[in-house]
Amino acid sequence: MDETELIRAAQAGDERAFEELVRMHDQAVLRLAMNLLRSPEDANDVYQEAFLRVFRNLNSFRFDCSFHTWLYRIVTNLCMDALRRKKVRHEQKRPAAEDGAISDRIERVEEDRVHGDPQRALLSAELRERIGKALGELTPRERMVFELRHYQGMRLRAIGEVLGASEEAAKNCLFRATQKMRASLGDFV
Amino acid sequence: MTCDEVRLRLSLHVYGELSFNEEEAVETHLAGCEACRVALERTRLMHEAWDEMEAAPAPTMLASSRRELMARVAVARESKGWATRLAERLGLKWKLVSPIWQPLGAMALLVAGYLGARVGPLAPGRPDEASLAAPLASRVRYVEPETAGRVRVVVEEARQRVLTGRPDDEAIRRLLMAAARDPGDPGLRAESVNLLRGQLDSEDVRATLLYEVQHDPNAGVRLAALEGLKQFAGDPQMRRVLTQVLLSDRNPGVRSEVIDVLVEKRSDDVVGTLQELMHGEENQDVRDRCERVLASWKASAGTF
Repeated sequence: MDETELIRAAQAGDERAFEELVRMHDQAVLRLAMNLLRSPEDANDVYQEAFLRVFRNLNSFRFDCSFHTWLYRIVTNLCMDALRRKKVRHEQKRPAAEDGAISDRIERVEEDRVHGDPQRALLSAELRERIGKALGELTPRERMVFELRHYQGMRLRAIGEVLGASEEAAKNCLFRATQKMRASLGDFV
Repeated sequence: MTCDEVRLRLSLHVYGELSFNEEEAVETHLAGCEACRVALERTRLMHEAWDEMEAAPAPTMLASSRRELMARVAVARESKGWATRLAERLGLKWKLVSPIWQPLGAMALLVAGYLGARVGPLAPGRPDEASLAAPLASRVRYVEPETAGRVRVVVEEARQRVLTGRPDDEAIRRLLMAAARDPGDPGLRAESVNLLRGQLDSEDVRATLLYEVQHDPNAGVRLAALEGLKQFAGDPQMRRVLTQVLLSDRNPGVRSEVIDVLVEKRSDDVVGTLQELMHGEENQDVRDRCERVLASWKASAGTF
């Protein structure tokens, strides 16, 4: 079955078709959520909520856009909300614990230990810290556009479609994000 | 376009997201400006550094998220089904009915949950025995009132076929080899590869591990398979495959490991391969490793 047939079958209540549809997209969704939120718990929450929304609202999907676009609208909305909440928490925490960078560093070391990708060990800790800090300082919208373009490889036109913005607006947002990221690295690279 | 204007656009240029006119102007400028070409190279390096920051989910996370989702979807499906049926039967909207049944439902959930929790894992089968086991675990997924004061309890049972045996049993080994190629679960593949590492007398197992080293999309699984194959570092076919991996694998950690395996036995082929690698290798750690090996073998780092 191709994707359209799967969607129609899932809309008609075919459980296997729904499961197959999930499997076609869920790895990318989890990767996106994990990379944006940097927390397995938060990423799993987004994953669960996104696909439950898909399940509940699949009958309202009318093929006006691609399923990928429809799904990513749901996922990016959830991620943006989570990023905003994270940012608010971070801002609130900052005056009390100004060594936020240290806790970030510990968090990343934890991630390294858990996932154990040897490639990561090769990148200098300082460079990683600078990039991580710069990513954390992007606005949720800039972070999302940067994520979709850089890590997910989506074109700006598609990003605009997902985020309900023009291609030009997405381009401006990506421009701002990359300039901020570049500035944070200084002459490091 | 001035140098400043070009440099502002270099990231978008790398992404291929400039307009046609901008792209033309940037390309024209780059063709005649060495400093901006260097800046472009630095921009590419910066993009590669960003690549390294990607936080991938742990290999087992996808499988557990899927399991949780499907359980939640099953509940949502049941809930949708019975609410609709009840509303139809009573000609009422669910919101009007639900408060009446909530105490009964809660009570039923407690009782059923207690009973369900008592269904635990069975005693493990005898070693070397393959068995079709009864349900391993049960969980109450949903309760609903029925007519005449009856209650329906939806119990989810995980009925699994359990095969136990030694890894050198043919049936077990076949299953492990199939699991090592499971496209959906890198954690399962890594664990299967680890278990197969003790069965390398079998040609099929060696072929499976070789396949994983070459084709598995997950670097952790590739490294696990490579670890198992180290003892065959002298085998000519193995060395041919590892040479290809060294020149094509995109993960520097894997490339470093392959170098360690290949250099256990010096040969002119390895010298040539390392020199070839040095031509295009971008990772400093891998380059350093190559240089150290070539220097210790008194070979030059480049070809002439």
